[in-house]
Amino acid sequence: MTSQLSVARPARAGRGGLRAFGKYWAIFRMSVASSLAYITEIVFRALLLVALMVIFVQLWETTYSAQPGTRLGDFTLRDIIWYLAIVEMLATSVPALNRRIDGEVRSGDLAYLLGRPCSYVFYQYAHYLGERVVRLAMAGLVAALLALVFVGPPPFSLWGLLAGPLVVFLSISIDFVALFAIGLLAFWTEETESFALIYSRLVLVLGGVLLPLELFPEPLGTIARALPFAALLYGPARTIVKFDLGHFGALLAQQGLTLLVLSLVVAGVYRLAVRRVNINGG
Amino acid sequence: MVRYLRFIGGYLSANMQAAMEYRAGFWSQVVSMMLNDGLWLTFWFFYFNHYRVIRGWVVTDVIVLWAVATCGFGIATGVFGRAPRLAALITSGGLDSYLTLPKNVLLHVLVSATIASAWGDMLFGLLAFLVLIRPSPEHALLFLLLVLLIAVIFTAFLVLLGSLAFWLGNSEGLAQQLMGALISFSTYPTPVFHGAVKLLLFTVIPAGFISYFPVELLREFRWPLLAGLLAFTLGIASLAWLVFYRGLRRYESGNRLGGQMA
Repeated sequence: MTSQLSVARPARAGRGGLRAFGKYWAIFRMSVASSLAYITEIVFRALLLVALMVIFVQLWETTYSAQPGTRLGDFTLRDIIWYLAIVEMLATSVPALNRRIDGEVRSGDLAYLLGRPCSYVFYQYAHYLGERVVRLAMAGLVAALLALVFVGPPPFSLWGLLAGPLVVFLSISIDFVALFAIGLLAFWTEETESFALIYSRLVLVLGGVLLPLELFPEPLGTIARALPFAALLYGPARTIVKFDLGHFGALLAQQGLTLLVLSLVVAGVYRLAVRRVNINGG
Repeated sequence: MVRYLRFIGGYLSANMQAAMEYRAGFWSQVVSMMLNDGLWLTFWFFYFNHYRVIRGWVVTDVIVLWAVATCGFGIATGVFGRAPRLAALITSGGLDSYLTLPKNVLLHVLVSATIASAWGDMLFGLLAFLVLIRPSPEHALLFLLLVLLIAVIFTAFLVLLGSLAFWLGNSEGLAQQLMGALISFSTYPTPVFHGAVKLLLFTVIPAGFISYFPVELLREFRWPLLAGLLAFTLGIASLAWLVFYRGLRRYESGNRLGGQMA
């Protein structure tokens, strides 16, 4: 015998702001601990990062040496290698969040998680942040060591270093919202991996991983800088490597707007998705 | 030989039928992989729009490189779709159900699955070569031969990495990262690399054979180059075969019950 219960809206977070924060802080810590337990996997991931850094360093060394006097906007070779170290750190540290959401939707685990005394969205956010922080630390360490060996100390200014954590935090938060939305598509599509693949490749190309946006032919360069993908990798890396107050202000506005618009869209999609959840028990 | 080809064809047909059970999912993966490859090629168009020539390579050389690499990788993982999961299969005791089958174990394992996105790679490689390069019939035939050789190199490398699991236990993560490294190095112009990295690309990570030889042969055919590529392909395939069967002696059964539906 089964009974059917339609869940109209997600469970709400606790009323006390501090208590609610404590809950998510605990989830964040649990996620950090859990990621550290699989440290060998993270170390293996660093192997690919080493390969990617070697490729980029040799590509740009060759490019600069083959065409003496060449400059990439206002980037020297040292600037570009440190820029690439930061974008690679961000690009290779993304957890498979969409796959987890997709799995929870298909397996029905989502229905159980919705019943917990915390918001499903913030639960996933805290979990994702924990995982991402560990991956960022490992990737950052490897990328920084390699850049240091290849081109020497970083060209960062103090302002760049101070602004870095904020723009990186906003960048990984935008990534969360996008990946969460892709995972939710499991309610309507057979598989979501292809959407994740296209998203990651758009980030790679339009986010300035493969090529700094200065190299894009116009008007594509201007369009790419205005798109949200630039706020994910190109913007933060450029702010850290070549801090400029005007650029920093524009980046914060771009990141804030992207996060706001994406969050509103995802809130709508989430509301629609949760209406489709049926809990069967008996 | 013909029996083996028919055997591979039979499995391929069964795998495709299984993949087509989720038709929308299959095609979305094919299309998204083609878009993915297209975005990478766009990067190179932008790069060569800025620099024109890099150590003798021009944009058409990179198109050829991408056409051969994607098509070869597509065949390797489309036809031999279990190769990327070999390490997981070994550590989970999943080889049990293959050991009692009449055909040889390695071939049976390799052809027992297909990867949907691989067909996107294959289609992309073919289209890029036919549409952007517009080859003569002789070049098209040479392209097909090169793609088959590259597919064998990719498959053999996957088997070598997967076989590490016989000695190292759970080495799926290591195998994935090393394969990622091979793919990454294979899709950049070889003249970009120098020093110890170049040596690495013609030995431990055989990306040089995937990127340098096909481009050079399609630019200017030379028998010694083709002979070199053939010899390397034969060598790595034999090594993979040898390492897998040497490792199989160490394999411990997972006491798993399983059936093979084909």
